[in-house]
Amino acid sequence: MLRPRPMQPLLKMPPQIIRLVLLTIGIVCVYFTARFFLTPPSFGLHGHYRFDALRDIASREPYWAGKTACVECHSDHAEKLAKGEHKDLSCETCHGPGRAHVEDWAVTLPKLNMSLCVRCHESSPSRPKWLHQINVHNHYTGNLCTECHVPHQPNEVP
Amino acid sequence: MDATVLTNVADALPQFTGYVYPNERTLHPLWSVLIVVYPYITGLVAGAFIMASLVRVLKVKALEPIYRLALLTALAFMLCATLPLLFHLGHPERCFEIMLTPHFSSPMAMFGFVYAWYLMAVLLLELWFDYRRDFVEWSKTQTGLRGILYRAFTLGVTDLSAPALRLDERMGRIISIVGIPSAFLLHGYVGFIFGSIKANPWWGNVLMPIIFILSAVVSGMALCVFAYLFLCWARRITADMRCLDLMISFLFYALVLDAAIEGLDWLHRLYSAEEGIEVLKYVATSKLFYTLLIGQACLGTLVPLLLLGTMQLVRRKISELNRRRVYFSSAVLLLMGVLAMRWNVVIGGQLFSKSLRGFMSYKMEFAGHEGWWLSLALLALPFFILTVFIKYFLAPDLPTIENVVPGATPPAGSHPARA
Amino acid sequence: MSEQVTRRAVLKNLAGLVGGILAMPAARTCKAGVQNVLASTNAPAGYDPFQHKWLMALDADRCIGCGLCVEACCEENSVPEGHWRTWIERYVIKKPEAGSGKTRGETMVDSPDGGRKGFPESLVPKEQILKSFFVPKLCNLCEHSPCTQVCPVGATFDAPDGTVLVDRNYCIGCGFCIQACPYGCRFFNPITHTADKCTLCYHRITRGLKPACVEICPSQARIFGDLKNPVADDPLQKFIAGNVEKLKPSLGTGPRVAYAGLDEEVR
Repeated sequence: MLRPRPMQPLLKMPPQIIRLVLLTIGIVCVYFTARFFLTPPSFGLHGHYRFDALRDIASREPYWAGKTACVECHSDHAEKLAKGEHKDLSCETCHGPGRAHVEDWAVTLPKLNMSLCVRCHESSPSRPKWLHQINVHNHYTGNLCTECHVPHQPNEVP
Repeated sequence: MDATVLTNVADALPQFTGYVYPNERTLHPLWSVLIVVYPYITGLVAGAFIMASLVRVLKVKALEPIYRLALLTALAFMLCATLPLLFHLGHPERCFEIMLTPHFSSPMAMFGFVYAWYLMAVLLLELWFDYRRDFVEWSKTQTGLRGILYRAFTLGVTDLSAPALRLDERMGRIISIVGIPSAFLLHGYVGFIFGSIKANPWWGNVLMPIIFILSAVVSGMALCVFAYLFLCWARRITADMRCLDLMISFLFYALVLDAAIEGLDWLHRLYSAEEGIEVLKYVATSKLFYTLLIGQACLGTLVPLLLLGTMQLVRRKISELNRRRVYFSSAVLLLMGVLAMRWNVVIGGQLFSKSLRGFMSYKMEFAGHEGWWLSLALLALPFFILTVFIKYFLAPDLPTIENVVPGATPPAGSHPARA
Repeated sequence: MSEQVTRRAVLKNLAGLVGGILAMPAARTCKAGVQNVLASTNAPAGYDPFQHKWLMALDADRCIGCGLCVEACCEENSVPEGHWRTWIERYVIKKPEAGSGKTRGETMVDSPDGGRKGFPESLVPKEQILKSFFVPKLCNLCEHSPCTQVCPVGATFDAPDGTVLVDRNYCIGCGFCIQACPYGCRFFNPITHTADKCTLCYHRITRGLKPACVEICPSQARIFGDLKNPVADDPLQKFIAGNVEKLKPSLGTGPRVAYAGLDEEVR
């Protein structure tokens, strides 16, 4: 019957080193465990970022409805618009945000102020020459631009 | 909208002149005084550590009296280093993300690891190996809270045999050697943060990390001189003049190197006169007149250079008291000068627009997140911590064994536990 | 005296360590699965960022400085007061003084409130103006974004579809990206306490809509398109085939936003 061999010492290191090595291993293990549990899911999937963030950012509700939404119903206005110089304007540029109206037709958009026309068409040395510009004071002293101009088709006379 | 109104909104605000990008029109700079305090603190840590490592690595025996004080100073400031950053972050509760998902292309991502490495693997480890014997001895004689503390710090290792002590000495030396590049990394990465921002012509410069490191070494050494002289005065003991004179010599040569490189930076900028030089010149001479020309250049560099340079030449002719006075004033001037340098770089770099067409002005508030009060408190806190450290680890009532020569056997009879 | 560490103990510990490491990927997949089930958003389904490469181009010759785009963006994205995701700059280049021998006089640049309410009359009298124009500005959608390079945690990133986005649930608010952007397009959002910037109206383009500024612009100064899916007669393709330039090309950021009608004075 063989006697069991006494356990051999594997490492003969000074106690300071052993304590420090154990402490280091402990800290490193804690770090990697924490890192595993706390790193957010989808991080690093396609780059050093949280891929789910794309979904988060895209989930915001749009504010402006977009011209396509208006044209769906108001195609007659859109056809008229397409004939004049304002053809590339979006409806909401002048009429303001239209989502409320798109979602509930009973909601009407506020009436337009002529200051809007002036905002784009006021004469300025900084504005490009292709734009029709007027000097507000010399041009017309009345109230409404629409007395002489048709916004949906500017070359037409009312 | 009335076309005759001739006001220009941006010009109506007095703090912006010329053209400033709209997003630069903020009440205070994005990186404000807290970001001035942070590199200052880590610079002090790095510099104090370099001073201590002169003892271990270059075996400058004359500096041994300040070895422990330098290390404890470095530790006290190191413990406070993260505070300005935490106060500054928009989401400090997410600060751990820098350790979870560090983005290695960013120098700032280094922070978590470099800080952890330097605190644990360099500072604490070197202090532990140096104090280990004392902890074992003190834990036997001290009672109460101090006794418990010392016992805990021994980490359960009570071996004080000659081979163990030799190992302590050797480990201390190895850690010091490793610690020097680590100290450069701890502070150099901050300089690299600024140096890597090519969008900012003041910051984005290859000399920026080097200037940061050199001025850090100067400030850390000045801090050691300051702390040593203050401690000697507080305890009414005579300072070791040989140690002090040598510290000042090292400080002087570090200052010469630092001044030379900073001078080179400005010389090169002025000479090559790239786009934006007019803007930078205006910022340096007008907006930063007091902090840069007076504070950093004159009082913070030239005057100490003259004082300490003169001391190097005529040291023997000056009395010890007057020498100490000159050293103390120079140390204070240098500490203020390096703080001014951090201010000039961080705040100065945000005083002009990236459009290179305009300037911003900022008035610092007293209270609040980015105010004076918080910064002064953060700068004062390490000194309180250092006082506590001195009480527990450098107090004169503690049996002094290692205070003079690390690793040597004490003279017979100094401690009853050792024959 | 040194401690005796037995071979058996070491092997046991090693086995435990290896087992733990091997179990981690499985545990992670389970965790992700559970979290995906719990999270739900109303993001547009079926949008694959790898199928698109968005680009905006700006025509300074067409910009009339009305500022409606700035207004539209602020409303679409709830941009806080005093910050801008897009803005308009007005350049007024004066005539040179008589006899000075110079080709141009001083250049004045302004952007009152980012141009949000349009521009008041310039302080420079008309007779002294050599040249004047408007330049809309926004994120330049850099190929080698300096801003995403410096983010310490990976909160701002280059998305596969060409946009540069900020993950406001992950951003720590350090401000490094804001400092690193040479174009001034980023800002610190005082409400979310994170970095913020133009997202190309990501929530609109993923639904097939145009960014708000492009939608509202009355003069086609902003051209938007998908480089991977050009439409017939794509205005973007035509535009970038013409004389275009980029801002601050010497910095090596690789800006993709193309400008036409710029002057040497534009930064």
